Amino acid sequence: MKIVAVVEDDADQRENYADVLAAQGYEVHDFGSKAEAQDGFREILPDLAILDIMLGEDMDGGFELCMELRNLSPNLPVIFLTARDSDADRISSQRMTAWDYITKPVSLEFLVARVHALLRIAEQLKQPESQESLISVNEMEIDEKSMSVKWRGELINLTLTEFWIVESLARRPGHVKTYDALNDVTRQGLVERNTINGYIRRIRNKFRETDRSFDRIQTVHGTGYKWAQD
Amino acid sequence: MGSRLNEPLTPRTLERPPSSVSSGPSGRNRHRVRPGLKIRTKLLLLVLSLLAIPWMGYKSVREMEKFLLDGQQQALELTTEGIASLLGNRKELFDPAVGVPEVMGRSFDVLPTELDASLSIDATPKDWVAALEDARDYTSAGSLECTVDYNPDSLAVRHGLGIHDKHVYAFFDVSDDVIIFRDPELVRLDKSDQLRLTVQVLGMDIRRYLLTARQEGRMSVYLMKTDWREPETGEALKDIAASIALTESGYAIKIRIPREVIGPRARVKFEVIDIDDAKKREIVGTISTDPDPFMHGLGQVRLMTPALAKLVEPLYISEANIRVWDRDFRLRAELGSIFPERLISSARSKRGSSWLDRLEGFSVEVYDWILRQPMGGIKDMPVDSSGEDLRILSKVITNGDRLSERRRYGNAKLIVSALPIWAEGEIQGAILIKQSGNRLLSLQYETLRRFTLLFLGVFIFLAIAILLFASRLTYRVGKLQRETEQATTPEGRLLKDRIRSGTHAADELGSLTRSVSSMLQNLAQYTRYLEKLPDTLAHEMHNPLNVVNSSLENLQYSHRELDDDKYLLRAKKGIQRLRSILTSLTEAANLKDALEQEADQFEWFDLTELVTGCVEGYQQVNPEREILSEVFPGKVQFSGVPDRLAQLLDKLIDNALRFGNKEGPILVSLKRSAYIIRLSVVNEGSTLPAHLEDRLFDPMVSSAKDAGQTHLGLGLYIVRLIAEFHGGSAIAENRKDASGVEVAVTFPRTETG
Repeated sequence: MKIVAVVEDDADQRENYADVLAAQGYEVHDFGSKAEAQDGFREILPDLAILDIMLGEDMDGGFELCMELRNLSPNLPVIFLTARDSDADRISSQRMTAWDYITKPVSLEFLVARVHALLRIAEQLKQPESQESLISVNEMEIDEKSMSVKWRGELINLTLTEFWIVESLARRPGHVKTYDALNDVTRQGLVERNTINGYIRRIRNKFRETDRSFDRIQTVHGTGYKWAQD
Repeated sequence: MGSRLNEPLTPRTLERPPSSVSSGPSGRNRHRVRPGLKIRTKLLLLVLSLLAIPWMGYKSVREMEKFLLDGQQQALELTTEGIASLLGNRKELFDPAVGVPEVMGRSFDVLPTELDASLSIDATPKDWVAALEDARDYTSAGSLECTVDYNPDSLAVRHGLGIHDKHVYAFFDVSDDVIIFRDPELVRLDKSDQLRLTVQVLGMDIRRYLLTARQEGRMSVYLMKTDWREPETGEALKDIAASIALTESGYAIKIRIPREVIGPRARVKFEVIDIDDAKKREIVGTISTDPDPFMHGLGQVRLMTPALAKLVEPLYISEANIRVWDRDFRLRAELGSIFPERLISSARSKRGSSWLDRLEGFSVEVYDWILRQPMGGIKDMPVDSSGEDLRILSKVITNGDRLSERRRYGNAKLIVSALPIWAEGEIQGAILIKQSGNRLLSLQYETLRRFTLLFLGVFIFLAIAILLFASRLTYRVGKLQRETEQATTPEGRLLKDRIRSGTHAADELGSLTRSVSSMLQNLAQYTRYLEKLPDTLAHEMHNPLNVVNSSLENLQYSHRELDDDKYLLRAKKGIQRLRSILTSLTEAANLKDALEQEADQFEWFDLTELVTGCVEGYQQVNPEREILSEVFPGKVQFSGVPDRLAQLLDKLIDNALRFGNKEGPILVSLKRSAYIIRLSVVNEGSTLPAHLEDRLFDPMVSSAKDAGQTHLGLGLYIVRLIAEFHGGSAIAENRKDASGVEVAVTFPRTETG
């Protein structure tokens, strides 16, 4: 049975997460503070961790926990589930190599879906690479199983949501993905257009870190985005 | 070209430069400028008050002038006293028998020549002329009875006077075109050319002597009656000898008069009478030795006493005139002149070509104008002031007064001091000293000039210093004012959080600047707090919202039969609304920070394409509404962040969809002129409420009152932020026909595409 750790200082939310995950057949270890979580992680290392960033008085408690987990296990999936929605926090989480970053309020349905997905990816990473799950679009390789993306052979470090967006765009190059379609892809419930724009912006930035001239993701103003064909 | 292709553009909107967001009347700054004096003017007026100093100086100099003249007058009185006591008790000096008499015309007449030897009455006129060196010309002066057409060729007189031992010698050289001798057949004596002598001896009647001749040679002398026609006695007098000789131009008369005839205290007047017509024998001309008979009556006699003159000589005072008179008003001695030997004019003479010299010359002219050059004033001094002298003398000699006074002739100043001279208990005469006050004043003038130069320097220096100081102060105050005004927009939004310059000054202005700066900082902090408030609020609300949401979901999971429960659905709908409120709150709050990070992500793109694409998208999403576009035909290259401009357009459309009439079209237009790019969205519907016009672009301001929908009033705030981020501005106006509202965003054109 997979162990999912939930670190959340708000008891109600924590138990709601725990209940739904337990109902999905996971063993849930829930902690209300950073200290408790640290002790718990040292005792039993979870298979996946859902962290709130702000833990009581500890403004960046979630980040510190993420660092510790990263030290304990380099491939452990970490999801930040937080009310904080600033770019700075997203960048920090990226630096900690968190696998996903979701903002509250979150739909439990989508949360469970993400947990499933991430645990599957973690499982894939443990096994030797197989070619069959690879999709190749232009100069991009998409590994569906490990949910990783390579551009011109370089690994692009995307969060889960970002991967889903890139994958959905790249699957049908030249076809416009409307905002509504992308909204579904993010699996976050209803999001504003601007949230989608924010995701796209961050994705572009990540590609451009590798390739400054990257311009595959094109804006179709007022409608959505598309992956440019050759 | 662009503007011509787009007819609806009015010049007014196109030529208005894109200022900072102007969403209302910009008259809020007017109260800051009020009529009245500015600091610089005030300080300059203050400097003008420094001019009181030279005025004071001028006044004190005037006082000093009075004081100096008083001093000079006193000194002169002392001198007069000294001389008076020197001459006192020496009666012999005033003995009328001693001295050289002279017919007095003017006070500066030459003294009668004292002859070395007696002259013979029969000697040639040449000898007489040689002896009486200084002959005086009496041409026209005093020819009172002459007709207007007096001709000097017809009658002219030269006259000389000499004295030796017991006789006075008088010589007349008369130019006369027609000489008429006496006709013996005529009884009246006034019918020929003749010489008249009037003598007044004090205490006796006036005696009139007439000298006439029948031919060249000895002249007959008669004592005449008042009318000069008949003699008192028919007998000619023997004591006065006279002869007449014809000369080339007329005739010469030599006279020898015993001194006892003139006698002590006598007054004498000679008159030459000319008659030209032998038949009519009427007097056509008279030349008198007395220039102004009305003034002095008979000419006064100077009885110059050589001994007295010698005594007075060492008492020479510069620019002073000393006169000693006897009690019969005869001048006994005279020394010096009130006129300086040369008029000082050196100050004007050296004028160089360099600007410094010219400046000095100019300043000298200014001083002269202000202070009156005293040496220049001497020009106003009258040559003859004997009239006033006589007035003083009569008081001194008759009453024994001591008199001293100051006279003023224009710019000339004359100090006069007179004292009686006593001998043996009675007044023998008087001494009168006149001195020019101008010399002393000229020294004072020189001092004053130097002082003025010094003062002028100090004044100019002070004025410039104060002017500089005032300018600096005004500049600093003005800068502070400008910076303070620039710190906020006319609508009161904060643009700067501190005053950058002038905060290091140690003075009050520096501390004021610091105060304003810290006030701005506090205000900025507060504003930041207010701006962050929605975000903080949203953040705080996310957690409880998440509790509700996750609890509801869990409820749904654990009670599958509730899936279609209307209350659960409503609760979820409510949560959805709350979520969207919180999302828009954070969107607006984070936008500022997000934009700052995107400042380096500007790219060139075609705004036409973006607008067209967006409008198509909007039309697809809102098929029930009519969304039209009127777009510039051609590319509009624009530098910016395309996503943000799409976001801006989203908000404009949202706004139009929400507030416009459901059936009315929404018109999106993009226009381009030489200098600006204008993007506007027009909708039909109700107009803007007047009280909101200024504040529509502020956060949390909305005109909506529909309870069923959420209107946080953040849409236009986001429009404004994005417009400003791209260097543009946003304006909301009612359409001219009040049929709806136009919200426009204007950007400056940064390239010529």
